[in-house]
Amino acid sequence: MSTRHILLGLLASGPSHGYDLKRRHDERFPQARPLAYGQVYTTLQRLVRDGLAEVDGTEAESGPERTMYRSTDEGARELAKWAGEIAPPAPFVTNEIFAKLVVSILADGDPAAYLRAQRAAHMARMRELTALKTTPGSDLATVLSADYALNHLDADLRWMNTTAARLNTLTAEVDAA
Amino acid sequence: MSDISNKETTVPLLAARGLVKEHGRTRALRGVSLELGAGEILAVTGASGSGKSTLLHCLAGIVRPDEGSVAYAGKRLDQLPEKQLSELRRTDFGVVFQFGQLIPELTAVDNVALPLLLAGTPRLQARARAGEWLERFGVRGQEEQRPGEMSGGQAQRVSLARALVTGPKVVFADEPTGALDSLASEQVMAALVHTARESGTAVLLITHDAQIAAYADREVTLKDGVVVSEADASAGSLEVSR
Amino acid sequence: MSALTNDLRLALLLTRGSDRREWWRVTLTGLGAALATVFGMAAAALASLRGHYPVPMANGLLDNAGERSGVILTLLLLLIPVLGFLGQCARVGAVHRDRRLAGLRLAGASAGQVRRIAALETGLACLVGSVVATAFFVLLMVREWPNPPALSWVGIALVALGVPVLGAVTSVLALRRVVASPLGWVRREGPRSGRGSGIIFLGAVGLLVLVALAAVATTSTSMPGKASGQAPLTVCGALLAVGAGAVLLSGLVSKITGRRLAARTGNPAVLIAAERLRDDPWAAARTHAAVLMGTVVGAGFIGVRQALLAEVYGTKYLAEDTSFYVTGVNLTAAAILVGFAITFFALAVGTAESLATRRRGLAAQVAAGVPYKVLGRALLLETALPLAPSLLLAGVGGAAIAVLYASAMGGGLVLPIGALLVPFAVYACCLLAAATSLPLLRRTVRPGELRYA
Repeated sequence: MSTRHILLGLLASGPSHGYDLKRRHDERFPQARPLAYGQVYTTLQRLVRDGLAEVDGTEAESGPERTMYRSTDEGARELAKWAGEIAPPAPFVTNEIFAKLVVSILADGDPAAYLRAQRAAHMARMRELTALKTTPGSDLATVLSADYALNHLDADLRWMNTTAARLNTLTAEVDAA
Repeated sequence: MSDISNKETTVPLLAARGLVKEHGRTRALRGVSLELGAGEILAVTGASGSGKSTLLHCLAGIVRPDEGSVAYAGKRLDQLPEKQLSELRRTDFGVVFQFGQLIPELTAVDNVALPLLLAGTPRLQARARAGEWLERFGVRGQEEQRPGEMSGGQAQRVSLARALVTGPKVVFADEPTGALDSLASEQVMAALVHTARESGTAVLLITHDAQIAAYADREVTLKDGVVVSEADASAGSLEVSR
Repeated sequence: MSALTNDLRLALLLTRGSDRREWWRVTLTGLGAALATVFGMAAAALASLRGHYPVPMANGLLDNAGERSGVILTLLLLLIPVLGFLGQCARVGAVHRDRRLAGLRLAGASAGQVRRIAALETGLACLVGSVVATAFFVLLMVREWPNPPALSWVGIALVALGVPVLGAVTSVLALRRVVASPLGWVRREGPRSGRGSGIIFLGAVGLLVLVALAAVATTSTSMPGKASGQAPLTVCGALLAVGAGAVLLSGLVSKITGRRLAARTGNPAVLIAAERLRDDPWAAARTHAAVLMGTVVGAGFIGVRQALLAEVYGTKYLAEDTSFYVTGVNLTAAAILVGFAITFFALAVGTAESLATRRRGLAAQVAAGVPYKVLGRALLLETALPLAPSLLLAGVGGAAIAVLYASAMGGGLVLPIGALLVPFAVYACCLLAAATSLPLLRRTVRPGELRYA
């Protein structure tokens, strides 16, 4: 996830200062990890260095003095380019669950038990996310990001189900090699 | 959620012991035991042919098991005569299937009012209450439409209203979203879970879809007619830490 | 020819894998075809005669053109309940058949091929029925009637071949929508109403009436008294008009009572029945058309019989051959009873089929706790509600025609009490016929059906 571009995106609606940007980010992307203020500050400075944003004066009403930033034309072009680019589909095909399975077979462990436990953990997380999104009054942003995670967990689960059914073949293959 | 934590101490609302049921030569259930607490939402999952639907039919008193017992609120369903079973299904249980539980010739509001009419409620009163339930499920304005004139999601919400209108203790839902797209599924499930929690109705939810099962408090998985795993939120996190 | 054998093989292959209900349809269709063949052949054999001709059957009733035309008319009218019966049979397992043929179409069969296969299925069932009936009929002819004219054999052959051909043509006509847009039929539950078959039935009845009129007109030419030739025709027209009126009334009553009751009733069984009537008000009219026709004819007959027998026994000048008249009256009575038997059988088949088609939905209702009793009551009410007023009209109309006929023929004014009892008897029989499917309700509407839902 590119923090640069997300901050540029938040600046697109008008000049803003660092603290405000962090607050709006956390509000807009509730399921993402909250931004550290330091990260916001360094990212903004890099944006200025690259000519994508510029300082828009300072604001000091009731409290500490805050630097306002705004996006440049160059920044707007960069943002449009980034937003239009597709995200690489399935950037990696190896996964931790698969690695653990193979290791478990190699070390004469119980891969089936591991799969069951993993499946239970996935389901528990799915129940949490479902509870989160069905809480009355939850906003669409929360629902959509919960849905994103749910669909990925569901895909993992389906993969685990088909894998569990073919565990014997996998064991034979790994042991033979 | 408090219902689950004390389910060990209280008598379960519905309890099955050692259920066996055969369809011809195939054994659909081979000794299933299961408990459902009051107000609990339980998902029964498993591949197709694992015996999920047969389990639901036994628990709801729709079919009798060949062996084993089903106890509901102290009554042995497997020994109750059909007439009383039918009445129990009408008053204490609600059923939602993938489709078919709405009478195609009846309007939405009459479909929902039907269980009330069967219980002897006067027509106008029954229709008024049915209308309230349709409103709760967001199908207001379609009272006079027949099931064939609605989308699948709307028809399924009408079915939910029909299942819940008598204020049942348990709702049995067999793949209630099986014929719906994901958005309609979400709306139907949200409506079901929300209403069940609000009114303290227990739900037995049959599904093969993990995303639907995630609406439940607890999950029981069947495979070839036996329970292979039981997991709720606490069991899941226990296994993770191991 | 090889294309035909290929289609034949496909047709056989497809029917072999089909379920039990399709075999019911084939069997019942064959039975209906056999009945149609028998009535048609008898009518054709008699219609081949001209003027006075001694027929060694039925106390000389068939010797003269006048009486003969009456018998032909009766035989042809008997084809009406047979057609109704065949119409009901065509519905048995129709959903499966339509889906199968639509699947065949989607699998790449040409429209013509699907039509040929459908025609072969029905045509063969009708052929079997017609062959069996022909065999028995010819045996009977050879034994009882030493020297029938050659023309009657031609007529018999025409009927024997015509029945299967007509059956095949009808099935192709009924399937035109399946052939034209197969996709919908594979996916959907099937036709909600059989309007197409209703039109076919009406067309067939119309054709029959024309044939009957032609037969009566040609065989009666040599009759000296024109008035007596006209009277049966007038009576016939009046009976048909009253029958049609009763059928119309049945549809209208379904529509109106359906709407009224559906809006008001607090009884679940009445609500279900009323909504089903409102949904397709003409379904009941179609199913009951033959019953209503039969009631008009039956009530009319009882009235005429009463007047006729009073005449026969009352006056002396006919005393020497009362058996001639009594045989005629009894034969007509037998024909009407046979017609009713076929009609009630058709009604029972229709009710059973309607149950079988809806059994999944009904099983879900039972699972949801709707008692069998309520579903059974709804089933009976669906028959009882629209039938009551139209049967009454049919009975009163038939009796009125009889009274008018009797007084026009110069007899005294008699009040046909018996005729007024006909609608009640028919009503009871209809309810009984519908009630025969109640055991089926308990047997087929089991929650076990839900497994495949």
